[in-house]
Amino acid sequence: MSKVVSLKEAIGEIKDGDVILTGGIVEDRRPVAAAMEVVRQGKKNLVLIGTCSLCDDIMVGGGCVAAYRGTYTSNGAFGISPNFKRKAEEGSIICDDIGHIDYSIGVMAGMAGVPFIASKTCIGTDVLNPAYDNLGGARSVARNPEVLPKKKYVLMEDPFFDMGTVQLIPAIKLDVCICHVQMVGEEGTVRIDGSLTFDHFAALSARKVIVTAEQVVPESYIRQDPNRNCIPCTSVDMVVELPWGAHPGQVYNFYDMDIPFLQEYAKSCATQEGFDKWAAEWIFNENGHDDYINKLGASRLQKLRAVPPYGYVPRKKGGVK
Amino acid sequence: MTREIAKPGEYSPVEAMVVYAARFLAGFDGKKGLIGTGLPLVATQLAKMTYSPNMIIFVETGQADARPQELPISIMDSRLTYGSSWQMGDPEGLFPLSRNEIDFGFIGGAQIDKYGNVNSTFIGGDYNKPYKRLAGTAGAVDIGVFAKDTVILMAHQKRRIVDFVDYLTTPGWMVKKWPEGTLVRREELGLQGGPSSFISSMGICRFDDTTKIMYLDKYFPGIKPEDVKANTGFDIDVSRATEADPIYTDEIKLLREEIDPLNIYKMR
Amino acid sequence: MNDLFDQRPRKLRCGKVLSLAEAISEIRDGDVLMLGAFIDTRRPMAAAYEIVRQQKRGLILLAQCSLAEDVLVGAGCAVAWRGCYTGMGSFGLSPATLRKTEAGEFFPDEIGHLDIIYGAMAAMAGCPFVATRATIGSDVLNDQLNRNEVLRAKAGNQSMIPKKKYEFIDDPFYDQGLVKLLPAMPADVAIIHTPIAGEAGTARISGSLAFDHYFIHAARTVIITTEQIVPEEYLRREPNRNQIPSTAVDMVVEVPWGGHPSQVPGCYDTDISFIRNYEALARSEEGFQKWVKEWVWDIDSRDQYLDKIGALRLEKLRSSTPAMQRPRSTHQKKYTIVKEDGDE
Repeated sequence: MSKVVSLKEAIGEIKDGDVILTGGIVEDRRPVAAAMEVVRQGKKNLVLIGTCSLCDDIMVGGGCVAAYRGTYTSNGAFGISPNFKRKAEEGSIICDDIGHIDYSIGVMAGMAGVPFIASKTCIGTDVLNPAYDNLGGARSVARNPEVLPKKKYVLMEDPFFDMGTVQLIPAIKLDVCICHVQMVGEEGTVRIDGSLTFDHFAALSARKVIVTAEQVVPESYIRQDPNRNCIPCTSVDMVVELPWGAHPGQVYNFYDMDIPFLQEYAKSCATQEGFDKWAAEWIFNENGHDDYINKLGASRLQKLRAVPPYGYVPRKKGGVK
Repeated sequence: MTREIAKPGEYSPVEAMVVYAARFLAGFDGKKGLIGTGLPLVATQLAKMTYSPNMIIFVETGQADARPQELPISIMDSRLTYGSSWQMGDPEGLFPLSRNEIDFGFIGGAQIDKYGNVNSTFIGGDYNKPYKRLAGTAGAVDIGVFAKDTVILMAHQKRRIVDFVDYLTTPGWMVKKWPEGTLVRREELGLQGGPSSFISSMGICRFDDTTKIMYLDKYFPGIKPEDVKANTGFDIDVSRATEADPIYTDEIKLLREEIDPLNIYKMR
Repeated sequence: MNDLFDQRPRKLRCGKVLSLAEAISEIRDGDVLMLGAFIDTRRPMAAAYEIVRQQKRGLILLAQCSLAEDVLVGAGCAVAWRGCYTGMGSFGLSPATLRKTEAGEFFPDEIGHLDIIYGAMAAMAGCPFVATRATIGSDVLNDQLNRNEVLRAKAGNQSMIPKKKYEFIDDPFYDQGLVKLLPAMPADVAIIHTPIAGEAGTARISGSLAFDHYFIHAARTVIITTEQIVPEEYLRREPNRNQIPSTAVDMVVEVPWGGHPSQVPGCYDTDISFIRNYEALARSEEGFQKWVKEWVWDIDSRDQYLDKIGALRLEKLRSSTPAMQRPRSTHQKKYTIVKEDGDE
């Protein structure tokens, strides 16, 4: 049974106050087009989990996000996520930092269906500082606070292997997970190239999973090679075909990052007015993503196409400069 | 054939930092390192091409024994996938740390204090309304907790090398015990490892065995110990420092012509 | 290779490719051992035969006692186990295991199937324990049947067995109520059989991964036996296809048909008559000794093993792609020149 829908329909399922995670990481395989649709549809009070970069930062700039619980708020080589940085410094966004292994263990626990897992991951650091614990703030804006844990962590002594003080890390659960991938079957079987990031875990701990993909293929085709598939169709709710759906980020085997676009984004979003102007040009188009890619232009996009077997555009061939 | 020596002024302080870091990594040839984003990637690429060809590189995004053919722009760059032994996700990329397999972590940061704690979360103001909000914990916190050694790379500026960090992201030698927030030695919380070295744009610092406080071990050619003291935000001991061996022109050439010819990292 | 639970210094080795005898000689008496995959699929059978041949003793087995493990138990190599399954799938129960358990010579400690996965997952993530409601309400949590102390006493390296089997607390995060704290399940050695592997240890599996993608990170020493060693560079062109990274592997051994009589998806099918023959004989001590003499003690080399099975019989088992298994109806009808006892 086909799960293919339009982007508008898929994003229409997201509710104000949802706890949401976007797949990929930083510049790699981000659901940017989906995030732009979230802004277009004027979603509010979202609680962002995991990282805040590129597509997440677009949602922050668009006024969609009230709280963030995650591990990384930078656009990689392109500076700290500008909209997030501005709002954090204004004190107008709730921010609750966790560690990267915290995040990994959290989604793994969610995938495994367990309530918590012990680790020494943030022992000794300010991540555990009670004064910086803003989980309560995130719970207060979430539409369904039960999706979030009641506590950020609990400390106890390891009774099994003499590891001493360990941190109990609660599972990460989500209302919505949005992933952008290279290939998906019509029924939702997902195949990812390059880093899986957290998608193969996060999609299994979310109530609703939206997959946007460079290509939607017949389910029978993608099932000929099951070892290559990363998310089962049983965990996917909606599928959207969206070529260039991660632009200006990278999609391994499809395209490299659009560096001038990323630099322009970083510059524009130093102020809210700058973001609004940028959004007027790139987000608020009549035909959404279709207009977006036509505006970028075929020749610009062609230069970003990945070269096999590398999966990106090798610089020595005169690629991205 | 003797190698030609490059004179200070013929290379930038950032290039010096990267070259000395690559040399430092010679001690990790054949060992496993988890490399953070930014300049550590450049130093690693240079080290793999010269002094540490058998170093085994792990990256948080799930590559094991990565062998990038081109300099990645960040650890998220697709350039790290091709040639890796496997490509999984971030959990698989990070668990070697918590399994105690990683010999060293290699990171940058925004602030470092005299105990080797590193801050990449916020500077100034309050956590809920910071003066400068930064990237957050990422893998830096995990490297500090789990890696058997941590090597930090950062430009040597007074505002960055401080008495105590504004937010303790990466645990160094004196860390925080919660819920009280008291400062204790990391061993007390059952943390092994700890930072051995801080490589800056002026020299290489280490941590005293007893006090665990940072001191200057080597200063780079063209730099005087007094310069280092003047550019450090606490009263750093420079009495034990000696001058580092000079940089060679072939190292600079490699950086500029092979590794980063497009000056993506703006080192020069 | 997991260095968390056993931090003794590692042996320095020039390369990872070794002979089967060399690799198995690294296993010590009293080691906690995980054998890859399960039941009759992708078992490291050649490795199991070599463990018998080298007369290892006091091994503690994890996860299951099925086919490969049953041979070790029958041969007296293993003394105890912790796991969830003592069967051989459609071939019945594990004969030697049952016999020795009923005689009080082999000590079981029951856990659940999810317990195995969570235990290996925790070890993979370097975590000391995981909370779960698995097995709550069952006799797995019956303290009178708790053999944790026995395992600790018998293990050569006590740090492999947790100090307790479980603990209980109330879930502070999601109101799940009473949950069990399940400790990590590390091992001294894991042996995984794969279709292909590179000389540095990168390996690629077709079909079910079973627990292998967790086991390789839970064990201190990881031995890969493989049908074929291929160039590492070939495998690294498509890193997304490799489930085992070189960095987790200590030793690589090329052993064609190393999974026989189990199936290896992508390579060959289950040798049904071989397993049925084993199962029947292993029910008694005399029968087992007869079997092990014929298939281990009287076999001087892998070549001799393969020649004894016979080329024709092995060809009947060979898989065809893309199905990865050869439909049994075809290979039974086509080759009827040689009929063996028990062949149907």
